[in-house]
Amino acid sequence: MTTTHEPHSAFATPLDALLDRVEKDMQDDLVPAEIFNNDEVFRAEMERIFTTTWVFVAHETEIPNAGDFVQRKIGLDPVIVTRDGKGGINVLSNYCRHRGTQVCQTDAGNSRFFTCPYHGWTYANDGKLVGTPLMHRAYGQPLDPEQWGLKRAAKVATRNGFVFAALSDDVPPLDEWLGGAGWMLDVITQLHPDGMRVAGPPERYIVNGDWKTAGENFAGDVYHLPTLHTSIQEVEMIEGLQGTCEIARTYEFENGHTFIGHAWTEAIGPFFTHWGYGALEGYTEHFDLSGFDETQKFVAEHQPPTVGTIFPNLSFIRIFSPLPDGPPGVFTSFRQWQPVAPGKLELWNWQFVWKFQDEESAQRDYVGGQYCFGSAGLYEQDDTVAWEGVQRAAASPWMRKEGMKFNYQQGNNSPVDQTPDPDWKGPGIHRNTGYGEHVQFNFLRQWLRTMKGDRA
Amino acid sequence: MTATTNTAATTNTVDHATYTAVAQFLAHEARLLDEGREQEWFELLDDDLLYTVPSRQSTEPRSAEINRNAWRIRDTKAHVRTRIARQNTGKAYSEVPPSRTMRLVGSIEVAATTEPDVVEAHSSLLLYRQRGIDVHFDLIPCRRNDRIRLTDAGPRLLAREVILTETSIKTANLGVFL
Repeated sequence: MTTTHEPHSAFATPLDALLDRVEKDMQDDLVPAEIFNNDEVFRAEMERIFTTTWVFVAHETEIPNAGDFVQRKIGLDPVIVTRDGKGGINVLSNYCRHRGTQVCQTDAGNSRFFTCPYHGWTYANDGKLVGTPLMHRAYGQPLDPEQWGLKRAAKVATRNGFVFAALSDDVPPLDEWLGGAGWMLDVITQLHPDGMRVAGPPERYIVNGDWKTAGENFAGDVYHLPTLHTSIQEVEMIEGLQGTCEIARTYEFENGHTFIGHAWTEAIGPFFTHWGYGALEGYTEHFDLSGFDETQKFVAEHQPPTVGTIFPNLSFIRIFSPLPDGPPGVFTSFRQWQPVAPGKLELWNWQFVWKFQDEESAQRDYVGGQYCFGSAGLYEQDDTVAWEGVQRAAASPWMRKEGMKFNYQQGNNSPVDQTPDPDWKGPGIHRNTGYGEHVQFNFLRQWLRTMKGDRA
Repeated sequence: MTATTNTAATTNTVDHATYTAVAQFLAHEARLLDEGREQEWFELLDDDLLYTVPSRQSTEPRSAEINRNAWRIRDTKAHVRTRIARQNTGKAYSEVPPSRTMRLVGSIEVAATTEPDVVEAHSSLLLYRQRGIDVHFDLIPCRRNDRIRLTDAGPRLLAREVILTETSIKTANLGVFL
């Protein structure tokens, strides 16, 4: 293949040259389509992002008791998240140290030990090697339990019960890494000091979309609502979709973490506080915001985050919604976009409920949440299918030959005032509009920085 | 397999006419859905319908795989009505145009219950689905545990529990009824 002929060179882009091109294009608010479906990009993402940054693995309420475990993913790597006998949380590689066979073949359970089915090496749930069959004849003496224990994530830390792990020692402390996102996670999950719990295990399904497409959508793409979700308005489960960008408020934090909220009390009425919890029975009377700073109180009451993405692949949504079978509810879902292959992800979706809720109330929010966001969710059914096109365009021979770039130019084109709020007292940048696509760019800039090996 | 392992089917046997009516019902509702006749299908739902898709995970023991307190879907008839109404807006974009489907229903067992007008029906379903301009297809395999009310107007679906064969599903969404 010739390297001088222009069109052909588009097919033979070395990764670092592509990343340089992405950086240059992003200065013009453009993003080369091919990053959303490219073998080399994907491999680099798995190595440069998922082995170097904090990644969410579980919520503590999934493993409350000694011996509890869940199997999770850090990028492509299967990990076992365990609660050991001392109450500690361990994030362990699910590859046997002897030949690599997976020692845990279940999604969740309770066990003190994990025994490899191949040769029987056995590990305690804190990762230590505690047994090797026929030890005296095979090895003469016990192998060092630490040296030959399951590989452990270099760092494990929690915030409000959310367990994160990093496969590198070279990471800032979790709270520092989360920064403004931790401040916002408090707003979301600590309206009551006891916090929230998972309503059930995560539901999982394959989406033919790239993990970054999902991440940037949940970073705050409110612009798609009036089109993609217009059917929800027609069945009267939401109203005012045309105004979604007008009443949206952005929260752009360091390290790519991004949220977008809506000014509900301004748009709907002073009674519609705290995501609309204020309009319902059984919630705000339990709330205790005394631990919040003044800005957190204001955000929670008037302009709470609707969606958000904690880089790289944990997202959040909380919406108020009428339901067909009774009074409205407010639903909270955290979801993780597990990369599977270029242009393909597995969606893990957890509904969350308040620990103070009784069983009936919790079930109502759980079921209502699934009715809106989940594999059968009225909203989500359409989102995941729309994302398929992004990665198809990204892999298109014609579009690659054309060097297709996606348009992220609302920021320069929109006449709406998008300047950062000069009176904002919270962390990061706050804008009083959803126009501008600033939130998606905040996420993608972090992606680019990490891929290029720059420290934030 | 010995007869004693399957006591439910042997002690609660229904007569041939009932079996045939229920098997016909399952075949008929599958055809209605395959032919895009959701409104006619909706007429076959009992007012007390409960349609659930419980969570399934890989666990040991195997008996813990299905968690009946965790759901992908837990719909009453009102939920189903709104789902169909949304499809009928023509703007539920993942189903515009609607998936081409073929529901293969088999392994039907029918058993009496303690309620004289209600029977249990267990069946397997393999749903073939091709969406929009896709050249590939999705398969959704599952088992269904139904309760069916026998009325003067014919059988009505009272409860359906869908046990998905897979823990992580491969189709884009559950925008089709199982």
